[in-house]
Amino acid sequence: MAKIKEGGLSTALQQLDRRWIFLLVAVGAILPILFPIGLSVTVTPPVRDLFDRIESLTPDDVVMVSFDYGPTTKPENGPMAAAVLRHCLARRVKVVVLALFPIGGGAMATEELDRVAAEFPTLRYGTDFVNLGYKDGGQASMKQMGEDIARVFPSDSRGTPLSRLPLMQKVRNYRDIKLVVSLATGIIGDWWINLINAQFGTPVAVGCTAVSAPKFYAYYDSHQMIGLLGGLKGASEYERLLLDAYPQVKPVYDNPMIFNAMRGMDVQTIIHAIIIGFIIIGNVAYFLGRSRAARV
Amino acid sequence: MSIELIGTWIAALLTLCLFSFLYKDNPFFRFAEALFAGVSLGYYIGQTANNTLKPNLVLPLVHDFRGNYDLVIPALLGLNLYTRYIPRIAWMARFSLAVYVGYYTGVNMVQKLQGEVLPQAGATMMPLLGAFPIAGTTALLVTLAATALVLGLIDSARGHLTRGAVIFVSTWIVARVVAQVAFPLAADALDNLLLFVGVIMVLIYFFFSLEHRGAVGGMSRLGIWFLMLGFGAAFGYTVMGRVSLLIGRMNFLIIDWIGGTVRAIGG
Repeated sequence: MAKIKEGGLSTALQQLDRRWIFLLVAVGAILPILFPIGLSVTVTPPVRDLFDRIESLTPDDVVMVSFDYGPTTKPENGPMAAAVLRHCLARRVKVVVLALFPIGGGAMATEELDRVAAEFPTLRYGTDFVNLGYKDGGQASMKQMGEDIARVFPSDSRGTPLSRLPLMQKVRNYRDIKLVVSLATGIIGDWWINLINAQFGTPVAVGCTAVSAPKFYAYYDSHQMIGLLGGLKGASEYERLLLDAYPQVKPVYDNPMIFNAMRGMDVQTIIHAIIIGFIIIGNVAYFLGRSRAARV
Repeated sequence: MSIELIGTWIAALLTLCLFSFLYKDNPFFRFAEALFAGVSLGYYIGQTANNTLKPNLVLPLVHDFRGNYDLVIPALLGLNLYTRYIPRIAWMARFSLAVYVGYYTGVNMVQKLQGEVLPQAGATMMPLLGAFPIAGTTALLVTLAATALVLGLIDSARGHLTRGAVIFVSTWIVARVVAQVAFPLAADALDNLLLFVGVIMVLIYFFFSLEHRGAVGGMSRLGIWFLMLGFGAAFGYTVMGRVSLLIGRMNFLIIDWIGGTVRAIGG
């Protein structure tokens, strides 16, 4: 109180210990996890475009899903990976999964594919979906797959030669792929667009972290990619579309033990409100302090 | 206690060690940070050895050396990189580096030009006046916005840099709102105009051969505004991204760690 009297409210606010803000943000994160609000999700065109493209595919078509992220961005990329895989498998579209991100990309691919594939017991590994595993080399590996995927991935993640997998007997290179979906945390998503789409013409969509979303909007606007999931918000929109079109997946999204983007957006909204509040308070304190200094 | 729950406890305690930095720097945070860096590197080496070196190099050479003898060349180039640790023959590593740099320079040059520069430049070359049924209205709105731009530039040339930028931006916003409500097709033309103006103004901001005074100064100021809008969008998304990671960790602590432990105790 003495400090407030001495320097005024503006000084006290400007000298507020930042740990109080951390504490408030933590409370704002914990409460909506314990007591979900269920805010509505509005769908934007980049997300709908990807959803519609997968909807247009037939069970004979093949989608390549590249896990280009690791555990560090799993809260953002994980829900979108699960939603895209779930959508493809629900439509009986064939899925080829691979990973190009070195720190945990392979583990993420195996974890998500195993979890989602278990929801579709009639689908068979090797015939309906395949996990090629992780490969080093980035652009070199991606370019080589344009000629022959088996040269880059002689065997799948389980060590089975590709020639023994019925699905991979039909998929030789990008010409046999209808769509590539890259779930990316960094520059690998760019490579799918400016290397593979540009040189092979394969349609590409990217599910990226929010940090890199503004960059990908430029590719989306120039029609170099057919759809974009930007961060947790993009993932929540895709989940909304999936739930509306496939009610059979509802139990998965109702399960409180499984994290999903729609519940995450509840927390996101609360924390954003707190941050906006502090930005306003900070600006008010700054201008109050400035006018006070001008008077003195 | 199951193995899975033990793993969850280790992950939860390490998460709390990292969060402790928010209070202040401490040995627990430093321990967790160093452990993460070390484990990541070890994991990367293991992944590369098992998923790339073994299936793409070792096994093909062991099973069919005659059919895959060309793999010996990249293998030798790779091993040659390690000669840099022997000072007497460290120069030999440059041959491998030259091949590596040469390959990726070649790939990147084409990739950047074909995949970024040309398509992105093409995407900025938009029709400012489309052949719409309401071409007259479109022309009117676009002319309005363009006039505002000219007025803004004239004002800037007189020394009112900020006022010039304000005139353009505010007039464009009014025209865009009118178009959105009454003439949706005209909205596209206005968007294209904004894109065109934004690109030119930002390029002028980065054009340092002329002093940024007068009309050039006004356009440069407008370029800063466009850049600031871009930075604002990027910052907003960055906040959203970081908050998402916090949500993921909080969800892990509450649902997986505390919830999992309660379920394990309760049987």
